Amino acid sequence: MIQFQNNEIINLPDITEIIFKKVEKKYLKVLLLNTFCYFIIASLLFFLFTEKVITKKMPEYTGVFYFVFILFIISVFILLIIGFPKRKFAIRDKDISYKSGVFIEKMVTVPFSRIQHIEIEEGIFSRLFKLATISVFTAGDSSDDLEIKGITKEKALQIKEFISQKING
Amino acid sequence: MDKVIGFSEFSRQSSKGIIVIYGNLLINILKKTWVIFLLLITRISKFTHLNKTYLIVAIIGLFIFLLIRSYLLFRNFQFKIEGSNFILKKGIFSKKNTSISFDRIQNINFSQNLIQQIINVYEVSLETAGSNKTEISIKALSLEEAKALKERISTKNSNEETKEEIIYPLLNIDTKSLLKVGFSENHLQSLLLFLGVLLGFYQQLEDIFKSFINEDTLKNYLKESREFIFGSLFIVGTLLFLLVIIAIISSFIRIILFHFNLRFFIKHDAFEIKQGLINKKMIVLKKGKVQSITISTNPLKRRLGISYVVFKQAISGKVKKKKEKLIKIVGCKDFQLEKIKDTLFKTSEFINSEKEYPHAYYKFRTVLKKILWVLLINVFLLFIFNGLQFLYFNLILIPLFLFIAYKKIKKTFFKVSENLILVGNGAIETHYTYLEIFKIQNIKLKQTIFQKRRNITDIVLQTASGKIKIPCVPYNRAMNIYNYMLYKVEKSTEKWM
Repeated sequence: MIQFQNNEIINLPDITEIIFKKVEKKYLKVLLLNTFCYFIIASLLFFLFTEKVITKKMPEYTGVFYFVFILFIISVFILLIIGFPKRKFAIRDKDISYKSGVFIEKMVTVPFSRIQHIEIEEGIFSRLFKLATISVFTAGDSSDDLEIKGITKEKALQIKEFISQKING
Repeated sequence: MDKVIGFSEFSRQSSKGIIVIYGNLLINILKKTWVIFLLLITRISKFTHLNKTYLIVAIIGLFIFLLIRSYLLFRNFQFKIEGSNFILKKGIFSKKNTSISFDRIQNINFSQNLIQQIINVYEVSLETAGSNKTEISIKALSLEEAKALKERISTKNSNEETKEEIIYPLLNIDTKSLLKVGFSENHLQSLLLFLGVLLGFYQQLEDIFKSFINEDTLKNYLKESREFIFGSLFIVGTLLFLLVIIAIISSFIRIILFHFNLRFFIKHDAFEIKQGLINKKMIVLKKGKVQSITISTNPLKRRLGISYVVFKQAISGKVKKKKEKLIKIVGCKDFQLEKIKDTLFKTSEFINSEKEYPHAYYKFRTVLKKILWVLLINVFLLFIFNGLQFLYFNLILIPLFLFIAYKKIKKTFFKVSENLILVGNGAIETHYTYLEIFKIQNIKLKQTIFQKRRNITDIVLQTASGKIKIPCVPYNRAMNIYNYMLYKVEKSTEKWM
C-alpha cells in the first residue's frame, strides 16, 4: 500500500500576504455620533438613577458614581478611536475577510461558496455620509458571520454584485 | 396497492388519525390546565347542584368541540408527491400550502407515542435544516404507507434502488446494557434536568397557590424552614443523600425511556436508529447531512468499555431547539465506534498526523479560570454562613478544581489530516470531535493581547452545527491551518449538506 502523503502545498495562498483595506474614514464620525446619542440617553437615565437612589441612600458615594460613569464614557470613546484603524477587510477571488479588535484581535474569513445570503444596511447617520454595512450569512451561527461596517454604499453594492456573480457563476 | 402508495394524488392520513389528533388535542389541553382541574375536583363538594350540572355540560361541550375540531383537522390534512417535491395542504379556516423539495429534507423520522402504539399507526416527521415552521409531521400512517413514503423521499431516483440488502443492526442494546449506561451517566446533569422539570410543575402550581395563600405567611414559612435547614447538618446530609439517589434514579429513568431497545443500522447512505419505550422513535439520518460527530466517554463508562456518539446535523441560527438536532447513540463498544467512524470518514488519514497540544499559556489560562471559580464559590459561601468556618471547604474545593484543570489540560489536543480534523477536549468526560474540513462554514482567529505577547491564537471553526474551538495554537501554525482549511473549503465541490 502506498503510504498516505500529506506534503505541505508550497504555494498555498497565504492570507497574511494580502493587503487589508481600511474602512472609510468618514465612518469614525458615524460611530462617534452613534455612541454620542446612546450616551445622551444613558446619561439621562444614569442622572435620574443617581439623584433618586444614590444621593438619598448613600450620598457620600455620589461623586464616585459620577466619576466612574464619566471614566467609562471617556474610555469607550478612546477605544473607538484606537480601534478604528484596526477595522480592515479584504476580498480575494474566493473569499472575504474582516479584521477588528483592540484587546481581542479577530480575523474571520468566509468562503463565497458557503454564503447563504448577503444584506446591505444603512443606519440613520450612515446615510448622511452615504455609508453602508454589508453582512454575509452562512449556515453557521448567524451571530458569528462576517459584517463590514462603514464602506461606501457604492462599494457595498459592488461587493454584493461580485459575490453573487461568484456564487452563481 | 401500488396506486394507494404512489402518493401522486392528494391523500389523507389513515382514518385512525382522528383518534391520534383527538388524543393529542386532549393531552395538550390537559397539560395546560391540569392545575385548574385539580382544584375543581378538590372543591367539587362545595358546588351547588346547578353549578355541577353546568360544569359537566361545559366539559362535555369541550370534548365534543375537540372531537369536531380533530375531525376537521383530519379532513383538511392532505399530502402528495409531485416530481421531487412533497406537498402538504392543511388548515381548517386559514388554508396553508407547503411544498418541500426532497433534497432539503434532512431526516425522515418515524415515531409512536402511546396512542399510536395502541392503534398501530406511525407518525412520520420530515425534518428540514431551515426554520422550524417548515417541519412537517403526519400523525397517522400505517407502517406500509410510512415505509413507502420514506422510500420515495429518501431515494431521489425511485427506480434506482430497489434492492433491499439484508440489514442487521450494528448495535443492539438490551436492557441489561442499558442499565449499565444508566449507571454510568452524568448523574449531576440528570439531577439538574429532573429539577428543571420539577421547577416547571412548581411554577404552574405556584401561580395558582398565590391566589389562595397569603403571600406573607408563605414567605415566613419558607424563611423559617430555610433557617431550620441550614441549622441542622444532619438534615443537610440526608438531603444530599436523597439528591444523590434521585439523581441516579432519574438517570436510569431517562436512559430507559429514551433509549429502550436501541438498535442502530448502517445503510448505504444513511444511519437508522430505533429506540424508545413509551414514545418509540425511528430516526433516519443521512450520512451526508451529518456535520460532525463527537465520541464521548467518562471514567465509569471507560471501565465498562462503552462510549456514546453524538451526531450533529445542520441547525439554522434562529432555531433554538438545538437538542432535537442532536442524535445520541448510547452504549457503543469500541469496535462499533470504529465501524461508525469508518463509514463516515477515512480515519486512517490520522496515522500520519501528530497530536498537537496547546501552548503552555493554555495551562495558565485554565488554572486561572478554575481559581476564579473557587473565589466565586467562596464569596457565595461567605454570604450563606455567618462565621469563617466555610474556609474549610477549600480543602476539598481547591484540589478538586486543580484536578479538573489538570485533566482538562491533558485532554485538550487536535490533529489535522488531509481532509479531517480531530479535536479532543473535556475534563471529567472525554470528547473527541471529528469534522470534515470541507464542512466548515467560516474560520476565525481570536487573539487577546495576552496571547499576542506570546504569539499564539485561538482558532474557531464555524460549522452548520455549531462552533469548534482550538485554543492557544502558535501563530504560525494557526496561519498555516487557516490557509490550508480555506484552500480545502474553496476547492471542494462536494455538498456540505
